[in-house]
Amino acid sequence: MIVATAVCPHPPLLLRELTGSRDAAADLRAACEKAVAELLAADPDTVVVVGGADTSAEDVRGRVPVRSFGGTGERVPPREALPLSLAVARRLLDSAGCRAPVEMTAVAWDAGAEETAALGRRIAARPGRVALLVMGDGGACRGEKAPGHLDERTFEVDGAVRTALETGDPAALTGLDPDLAAELLIAGRAAFQVMAHAAGPGQRARLLYDDDPFGVLYLVALWRPGHTPEA
Amino acid sequence: MLRLRGREYGPDESLVMAIVNRTPDSFYDRGATWDDAPAFERVRRVVAEGADIVDIGGIKAAPGAEIDADEEKRRVVDFVAAVREEFPDLVISVDTWRASVGRAVCEAGADLLNDAWGGHDPGLAEVAAEYGAALVCTHTGGVTPRTRPHRVHYDDVVRDAIDATVALAERAVALGVDPASAIIDPAHDFGKNTWHSLELTRRLDEMTATGWPVLVSLSNKDFVGETLGLPVGERLTGTLAATAVCAWHGAQIHRVHEVARTRQVLDMVASIRGVRPPARTVRGLA
Repeated sequence: MIVATAVCPHPPLLLRELTGSRDAAADLRAACEKAVAELLAADPDTVVVVGGADTSAEDVRGRVPVRSFGGTGERVPPREALPLSLAVARRLLDSAGCRAPVEMTAVAWDAGAEETAALGRRIAARPGRVALLVMGDGGACRGEKAPGHLDERTFEVDGAVRTALETGDPAALTGLDPDLAAELLIAGRAAFQVMAHAAGPGQRARLLYDDDPFGVLYLVALWRPGHTPEA
Repeated sequence: MLRLRGREYGPDESLVMAIVNRTPDSFYDRGATWDDAPAFERVRRVVAEGADIVDIGGIKAAPGAEIDADEEKRRVVDFVAAVREEFPDLVISVDTWRASVGRAVCEAGADLLNDAWGGHDPGLAEVAAEYGAALVCTHTGGVTPRTRPHRVHYDDVVRDAIDATVALAERAVALGVDPASAIIDPAHDFGKNTWHSLELTRRLDEMTATGWPVLVSLSNKDFVGETLGLPVGERLTGTLAATAVCAWHGAQIHRVHEVARTRQVLDMVASIRGVRPPARTVRGLA
């Protein structure tokens, strides 16, 4: 049973070592930390993390490969390195002092409807109190200086994602078109669809962050099932 | 480790020492801060630009009219006292080779004696020890103060500079100077031709490998001018290039005319070395 769901983006910027002495992502990181803290406050037996990666995989383990993005820290061998989305989740959970067991699942960027639905249903069917941490970004084509330059189509699609996360509307997420999302560099598309299938309808939702300071839409959200009693 | 005015600096912290001349005839500023008011304005400006140390000098390095100790004191002692009063935490250095002047400026609040003429007056190190001041130990090849190099030659100028400055530093420590406050300086252009100064720059890592904190004074000097074929006033770029190389090799204190631009170079080099995070990084990380 899913007792709470949190959504966080996963830019490398959330790793504090990478943002320089004038932390460029302090407010975003604070919002993510708040979301994860509230997720853990639901007293889960297990934290399940879902994040995009090049290939799908369950029970992913590894370390945060900060050095592969920058800084001067230790290098993590590739076979021990978590994919970025799960690495950021690992860091957020560690920062929050998470003591519950964590299970990480990678979902391929291009995973289709059947795969995301099946994975979502498996998570929903898990016994015990499950906290779901979904790692996903909005579009990266939101301006002339955005990573993917400007694609005007992104505002409608990103707007739909924002509304879905803000109102707790899974159906709007399952309706995202994978091909269009890929063109708009919406890195969270597959993870959002897993979330939609896992969480189901009737969510109480809150948006904790909604901005695109660097041309990528970052959304931080919390969902609680409408009918679940507090822990 | 470096200690100045009671503050400790790690090996990766670089310091900018701003030159403040109380002379009517120094080569670069030609008397711009000879009077009190502009001299004070310069101190305020370099502090605002991030200078960690001011180096106050009453006698230009080049040959010229004889300046006796009394005149040198008139030029610097009261000024040191006034700077100390306005900037209680600023590290104040005085560029002098005379023990009697060193004593007077330490009484007035100086923290560092910049013995630019390489221990010509052995009493200066004793004064530093007596007052708990730091001391810059420079290499001049044994020349008399305010003389120009003439046909100087060394078997190995870097070896000579290391041996001479380390010997001066060890002597100072034996006299009671804090080992973390004994600084060595190869003294570009002092008792050296341009080739010597270039080699000292190229091999400065050998000097920093001694473990003593290293100061370099490169600003607008003749070795920069001769290397680029440029007169005084057009040597900033060359100075900054040499500064970058010395910083890369581990020089810790940089004695300069141009504070803000030097600070930028030192910050850039420190980040390239990986000992200073960039100011703000977003590119490719969003």
